[in-house]
Amino acid sequence: MDGERRRKLKKAATAAGACILAAFLFGWFLESPEPRKYPEREPVVFWHMWTTEWKVIVDDICTRFNESQDVYEVIPLSLPKGVADSKFLLAAAGGEPPDCMAEWHQVVPQFANSKLILPLDEIMTAEELATFRSQAYPIAQKISAFNGRPYCMPLALDVRACYYRLDHLHQAGLIPASAPARVATQAEFEELRAVLPQTLEELTEWGRKLNVFDSKGRLVRLGFIPQWFRMFASVFGGGFYDWENNELLISTPENLQALTFLAEQQKAIGFDRMERFLSSLTTSHGADWPFATGKRSVSIDGQWKVQQLHKFAPDIPYMTTPIPPPKSGGKKMAGWVHGNFMTFPKGAKNTAGAWAFTLFWTGQDNPERASEFYTRAGWLPPSPAIAETRRYRAYVREHPQFQTFIDILASPNIESTPPVPFQLQLYDLIKRADESAMRGSLTPEQALRKLNDEVDEILNRRKEFGHEN
Amino acid sequence: MRGQALKGYLFISPWLIGFALLVAAPFIASIYLSFTHYDIISPAEWVGGSNYKRLFTEDPLFWKSLVVTLKYALVAVPVGTVLGVGMALLLNLDVRGIRFYRTAFYLPSIVPMVASCAVFSWVLNPHIGLMNSILRGIGVEGPAWLTSEPWAFYSLVMMSLWSVGGSMIIYLAGLKDVPASLYEAAVVDGANAWQRTVHITLPMLTPVIFFNLVMGTINAFQYFAQAYIMTEGGPEDSTTFYALYLFQRSWRYLDMGYASAMAWILFVIIMLITALLFKTHKKWVHYGR
Amino acid sequence: MKTKSPLSLTRRQKWAAHVVLVVLCIPFLMPIVWMVATSLKSNEDIFPQENQAAITFNISSMLPKDPQWQNYKAALQTGPFHLYLRNSLLLCTLNVIGAVFSSALAAYGFARLRFPGKEGLFILLIATMALPRHVTMIPVFTIFKMLGWYGTLLPLIVPAFFGNPFFIFLLRQFFQTIPADLAEAGTIDGAGEFRIFSQIMLPLAKPALITCALFQFLATWNDFFGPLLYINDPAKYTVAYGLQQFMGSHGTAWAQLMAVATLFTLPIVILFFCAQKVFIQGISTTGATR
Repeated sequence: MDGERRRKLKKAATAAGACILAAFLFGWFLESPEPRKYPEREPVVFWHMWTTEWKVIVDDICTRFNESQDVYEVIPLSLPKGVADSKFLLAAAGGEPPDCMAEWHQVVPQFANSKLILPLDEIMTAEELATFRSQAYPIAQKISAFNGRPYCMPLALDVRACYYRLDHLHQAGLIPASAPARVATQAEFEELRAVLPQTLEELTEWGRKLNVFDSKGRLVRLGFIPQWFRMFASVFGGGFYDWENNELLISTPENLQALTFLAEQQKAIGFDRMERFLSSLTTSHGADWPFATGKRSVSIDGQWKVQQLHKFAPDIPYMTTPIPPPKSGGKKMAGWVHGNFMTFPKGAKNTAGAWAFTLFWTGQDNPERASEFYTRAGWLPPSPAIAETRRYRAYVREHPQFQTFIDILASPNIESTPPVPFQLQLYDLIKRADESAMRGSLTPEQALRKLNDEVDEILNRRKEFGHEN
Repeated sequence: MRGQALKGYLFISPWLIGFALLVAAPFIASIYLSFTHYDIISPAEWVGGSNYKRLFTEDPLFWKSLVVTLKYALVAVPVGTVLGVGMALLLNLDVRGIRFYRTAFYLPSIVPMVASCAVFSWVLNPHIGLMNSILRGIGVEGPAWLTSEPWAFYSLVMMSLWSVGGSMIIYLAGLKDVPASLYEAAVVDGANAWQRTVHITLPMLTPVIFFNLVMGTINAFQYFAQAYIMTEGGPEDSTTFYALYLFQRSWRYLDMGYASAMAWILFVIIMLITALLFKTHKKWVHYGR
Repeated sequence: MKTKSPLSLTRRQKWAAHVVLVVLCIPFLMPIVWMVATSLKSNEDIFPQENQAAITFNISSMLPKDPQWQNYKAALQTGPFHLYLRNSLLLCTLNVIGAVFSSALAAYGFARLRFPGKEGLFILLIATMALPRHVTMIPVFTIFKMLGWYGTLLPLIVPAFFGNPFFIFLLRQFFQTIPADLAEAGTIDGAGEFRIFSQIMLPLAKPALITCALFQFLATWNDFFGPLLYINDPAKYTVAYGLQQFMGSHGTAWAQLMAVATLFTLPIVILFFCAQKVFIQGISTTGATR
């Protein structure tokens, strides 16, 4: 009987404990902190996908905007990139979209076509629109365009260029011994530019000389490998879109030439060997970037590496140049460019506030102010007006390598993914054709033909449903 | 009798209410959507059976992803069952430190997926990864696991077997439910350990094995998260599982009507297999009455 | 109750069991050891820096040379983790209570009671798990929106109280194995159905109930998509969301990710370790009642 009582007591104690825990949790839950600093202002709900150190910068821009005026309060929310689009779409479909969302996935034409996002000309004043059209870089306008109207405001652009390890080049005797060992000044930058490869063929030849293998034939250091069909199509004078006639271009001789060239380079080194080497690098962040650890001599990468190298590996001597064109038929300063941009969903409560915030960020009205954000983050601005500010010029003087990216940014030869309503699918299909050709499971001709057929099929299906394009 | 019927409905009422409130309408809606062209934002347009027709006649990736998924179910479900039961039997032994062993085997299935995927991208790394560095120790150069065919597929199977602990726990709970008296009687009859396992433990465990088979099949056909993170369906679609393709169609390409048609085809396949399992289950599942 | 169990092993068999268990443990534990070890390494230490293409396995390079405890501190400073923890615990508690209780009720109905349409309803229950949720997400979201629950925690709590088909199926399997005479004994005593359920059936199915509770806790603990979908206030997000923040767009912060993952896994490990006590009990109570 004693045991029975003890058991009952124990039960009661457990129940009481559970109740206390529940009450505690609930009380804790109710005193949720008020996240709004300016409850009297109009809220501007802003969603984005930046995390870690980038989130800090973005949060800071929001704070600065909130301090700069007294009508709006921007409330930022960072969404994990894998599910950000799903949340955005569900919220929009359910009639509760944010006021603005920063994106970098290939979604603008798709969203514009479904009337999910507003065209900028309905948000901006006529004057602001005119400024955007006359000032923003052509590539920024291409990224924003759908059916001839701008649908998003580019925040920053991502441009890729060749990075060279100067120490590797000197060791291999590829550049004259008199050439500078590292770049600190504009003059040294210019001097080195002249001795680096001027054609793609020359660069790949250098790459072969810079490769290092171990006794079992495994790659220890990769000299150079040209990669990404979407990147090299325009380098060979091709590309996937005819901007004058608003038509997709897939099976063109230039594109075939580009894909064939890439496949040949891949074959020369061996796809499997290549894949093993590349996947072994595990991360491309900060000091672990294989170029920084000396595992790659020439690498194509984005402008953000300039700042990262400065931060994590300041002693590495390097140089950047645009991707050199092939000997014949190519285009200079070409390539594929993408960026991140602000979109404005239809049905949002405070589009005006969202636009004021975007204007503040991109500095169309005041490039000097915005230049601070851009230099701090190492971003490429959407408009030369910012690149020409005093602060940005000073930043470029401090990081001479940045000049390469700014030069490319103004080039008419760079391309973005074509502004078709099935942009993401097209992007995936191009990647798949690229992969098949690199692995050699299809010849470049076959891969391109297959891509062409797949695109035709999508277009036919769209026609069936009564869409024009 | 009528009283018992009422009681029965009362007991299952939480589920019934939930079903009527939250499940029924979305199910019916998705059947309707499978006959439409629907981009999530604009209103759905009725297109008749054209999504189904296109899936069966013009979409090679549909067939490919179906084959990949079938292959996965055929490998992962039986191997997972055998491994799960075996481990549970082993972990049901009366030895010191068994709680530690149980925790060790269960651990992999509680590591959050973000972390386990990151860990496995190291384990399977061809040059510096654990797998190949051990293989190298015995003089074998392992494959580039995640980026070559057919290894990417088997890597994912291996990852899912690594977290077999989840079903192991269910078997373990099942073993704990086997009345000790049955064993006592068997010992009196002079049965050895092996005989006890075959004649008492396994038959008593069949309801749980059956459960895990059904759930394993349902989950295998909807498997996609690890493939989405680790291989993104590559290399060359060799790990494009059906549900991964469905996800791409629905939330990446905003082709929700088409994806709904895919979902209902999958639904029919799963239900057919489940029905088959239920058909056979009277023959081998013992409910101890 | 300390009589010699019929399942007890000889000394020799015990040794053999230990050997087998230890060997089998290794592949299961190795990646986790690496996870914990990495959480204590500096970034330069994680991957081999030397210019060599491939490494052969050695255990010492796997372990941290100089434990970097500040990884944990740095990782926890990236967000309001105390808020995340509170929210996670709240959701987990309510979900576990709701799901286990309502599922057990429904499972008992399916397993032990007779009513017209039972077979059909059970097939329907299985069927609800067979449709990929990607295609029902929009209607489900719309329903919650119509109920006015968008932006609140209700969509993350209330569904648990409607039972989870997975648990209902599992518990039904368990309830069906319980011999009929036990329940009948209750009926003769004149006990109501609910009393038979709560006082005879539930204690007998304890291991299965604990399993369900554990699974539900884990599912809620790991779920970041649900909270993300229905809530827009970062102060109401869960630990799982905090973990996602380490998957950067320009690469992964390995050491910090592993640190948070280790902390994230720890509560479940403790919970599981404790829950096993009930597993041990399971066998003796069953033995005692008969």
